[in-house]
Amino acid sequence: MTTTHESTAVQVPHIVKGERLTGTDREFGRPGARFTTPALDLNALVWPRNQPGPAFDVPVAEIIDLLVDVGDWLARDPKGLLEEALVAARRTSPLPAEVVDRSYEHLPKVFRRETMEFQIRAELGGPDVLDGWREIIDAPTGRVHRIRAFPPRLVHVIAGNSPGVAAVSIVRGALIKGLNLIKLPSNDLFTAPAILQAIADVAPGHPVTRSFSAAYWRGGDERVEGTLFRPQFFDKLVAWGGGETIVSAKKYVGPGFELVAFDPKTSISLVGREAFESDATLEAVADLAAADATLVEQQACASSRFQFVEGSIDDVDRYCALLQQRMRTERPTTSVSGRPLPAELREEIEGLRGMEDFYRVWGDYAGSGVVVRSDDPVDFHPDFRTVNVIPVADLSEGVAFANVATQTVGVYPSGRKAALRDSLAAMGVQRVVKLGSAGGVETGLPHDGFMPLARFVRWVNDEG
Amino acid sequence: MTDPRTQLLDLVTDPDSAYDKSAQDLAPLRLQAADELFQVRREQIPLLARRAEEAGIDSIESFGDLVPLLFAHTVYKSYPQSFYDHGRWDRMLQWLNTLSVEDVTDVDVTGVTNVDEWLERLWEAGHAVIATSGSSGKCSFLNHTMGDRARKTRHFKYSSGWPFAQADGNHAYFWLGPSAGRTSAVEAFAANAENWGRPGEVFALSDEPLLISEISELAAFRTRMANGTATPDEISDVERRGRAKAERMQVDLAKLTEQILEYRDRPIFLSGMWSQHLMIIERARELGAGDGEFHPQTVIGAGGGVKGVALPPDYREQVDRFYGDVVRPAVYGMTELAQPLPRCEAGRYHAAPGLVMLPLDESGERLLTAADATDGLVVARFGFLDLAYEGRWGGLITGDRVTVDFSDRCPCGRSGPTLLDDIGRFAQPGQDDHIGCAGTIDAYIRGAVEA
Repeated sequence: MTTTHESTAVQVPHIVKGERLTGTDREFGRPGARFTTPALDLNALVWPRNQPGPAFDVPVAEIIDLLVDVGDWLARDPKGLLEEALVAARRTSPLPAEVVDRSYEHLPKVFRRETMEFQIRAELGGPDVLDGWREIIDAPTGRVHRIRAFPPRLVHVIAGNSPGVAAVSIVRGALIKGLNLIKLPSNDLFTAPAILQAIADVAPGHPVTRSFSAAYWRGGDERVEGTLFRPQFFDKLVAWGGGETIVSAKKYVGPGFELVAFDPKTSISLVGREAFESDATLEAVADLAAADATLVEQQACASSRFQFVEGSIDDVDRYCALLQQRMRTERPTTSVSGRPLPAELREEIEGLRGMEDFYRVWGDYAGSGVVVRSDDPVDFHPDFRTVNVIPVADLSEGVAFANVATQTVGVYPSGRKAALRDSLAAMGVQRVVKLGSAGGVETGLPHDGFMPLARFVRWVNDEG
Repeated sequence: MTDPRTQLLDLVTDPDSAYDKSAQDLAPLRLQAADELFQVRREQIPLLARRAEEAGIDSIESFGDLVPLLFAHTVYKSYPQSFYDHGRWDRMLQWLNTLSVEDVTDVDVTGVTNVDEWLERLWEAGHAVIATSGSSGKCSFLNHTMGDRARKTRHFKYSSGWPFAQADGNHAYFWLGPSAGRTSAVEAFAANAENWGRPGEVFALSDEPLLISEISELAAFRTRMANGTATPDEISDVERRGRAKAERMQVDLAKLTEQILEYRDRPIFLSGMWSQHLMIIERARELGAGDGEFHPQTVIGAGGGVKGVALPPDYREQVDRFYGDVVRPAVYGMTELAQPLPRCEAGRYHAAPGLVMLPLDESGERLLTAADATDGLVVARFGFLDLAYEGRWGGLITGDRVTVDFSDRCPCGRSGPTLLDDIGRFAQPGQDDHIGCAGTIDAYIRGAVEA
């Protein structure tokens, strides 16, 4: 990348109902990652309430066909649009370029037919309830009712820590035939517009094409959000992440305008004493744990940050050393070297270095991985590929650490999941996986504790 | 001939000359003092010895040699939380010992039931340990000696009013905080009261001691919120107590304001946070006081308390206007620093000869020099070796972002280098409007103990 490149702001296109808008009317971002967007026409971003959405009556089979074509289109990239988005994303994404590249390679998989059909089956019980009215014949009153998963009007505030979030959001919004406005995050400005363009290119003027818009405004911008976030325009706000997003969302939630939150999460690992059965086993376990820790450069909710390991200090230290080594491994969403740790995190770790009666630290601050072993969980948030390993006599000590902010718990050996899952669930945990599988999210299963398609739609009754 | 370190530290007793010494002239003596101190401390402080060994440093030949020997400020809160939570005060002593010059492990902690009692036992044994509460609620503990306290008080005497006024023991002293407690703010109050205050005319907002256990009780409550064991009654009780405390502070401040106003035709020394000054002004207005009615030798200190407090945009102007033409000194200091830097007429901070400033790059790895500066200026992470400490190692890396002016001459006419009046924190880069799905329990907690 040349300096000249750096100094010019990148242009972020908006997609409004299938139409690509470009312009440099507004400028955002920090030095080195400046970006411009076209002006925002709020009138164009809404769909009038008194008219049904264009895709409301399109059979879901047709939508799936279309999305499969979109997946193919993304894999072929006939117009070089995905490549164009990728080049821009490499510049503005906080992820290492190679991770952005590999995440983009993965995008077409989100559009696989089997995956989409499974989602509809698993979350809604089948496509009939999307395409028409499902009969309910076993009500105790003897009355025969009909229900429909009616298409909603959604505004999505999506997370940008992984490009997959944009793809998953678009697929979900399309499958339920809804109207969808996507607010772009500054850490992923290009994926959603690129996919929406693919849809427009595969099916110009198609109802699904006309059911999506994606635009950037600064999160929390009252002029935009105060105007748009109302039941007059949208039924639900689908918001990812925590902090500012949720804080500002709370202002607008009220009767007729509901919040569907993918809450901010922390994930952990529980490693049983079985890991120490042999050196080969220990190495393999450390590799699995490293994969979970470095998932999306540890920027994901499913990335493991605290690991509770059953063993003596000496055993656990051997595990830590191996874990740190295995973190320097290239994986689908992991680079070898990572990015240097930010100052505040370095300060926290630096305060523990050399205090060997109480802590041990493996790795440096260059970004490939740091492991901190301590008696108690550290009081800071391990991030940027930092893992806090806590030796325990029994995995139940790790269970006690879980809370409502804990999403995924990776367990080794997987045979111990069954004994742990109820107590973990009681603490608030949403997902128990075998160690090494934190990233293998099966779309169609509950996500953050609910069935997204079922939450997104508007359930309507026709009662007999 | 006294040793170089004492020579440097003693210079402050003539502040006009001390704060006008050029870094170049002081360099040989400072290096010698730093090396002598390092040679002694590495034998006493295991962590320093370890750092020196890792970095392969055997003596201080240049200021750059000090960089790998600076401790992160977080080291002073590095004890395992369970020692604290489970009242293992003996293990806390062992931890503190790894950061202390004198052996603290023989302090009798039998029967100690909380952190305040632990601190008092240390003080009784001559170890002046002070506590600070961090943003996570975990407290830091910094050891120093009674001699360090005396040196600090002496430094304050000659520096806290410099270059506008000197402590004269002839001011009525008003302090908008508690008069007792083991924190650096209370220590500063004690030093200033001794230096500036007229006996019998020292007034604090509260004489209830500031208890560290209250801070840790809140932190423990926060843990119970996070793990879901806090009861509704407990939550409402904590919130009620928080409100009551704030109200009590307001009432106390309103009362103290009346007393301040009675003294306004005489020289007083008054220091507090910006938000407190605004409350004083509001109360004073109700009592009919106007602008600029204070004695010209009155000293007003204002600072801090800006974070998380809604202040009007013109809060500085309001304070300036109300107190009028009085002495308004300022210092840049922190708990870890025995020799805060006073601000000159030109609004620059000057370091005393006994304080070796070590401006570092953002990562804290490299010493910045004039060669790194543009037009003499460079943005740096503030690091230092404070030569005043006998109780612990005085070398520290802070999280503060400072602008250093390396020019030989400060705009005030004295020697440089100086720090500009724009001290802040290093911001996390590139987090602007980033949305991610990862997050912590902090987002789930609201109310009295919100992060």
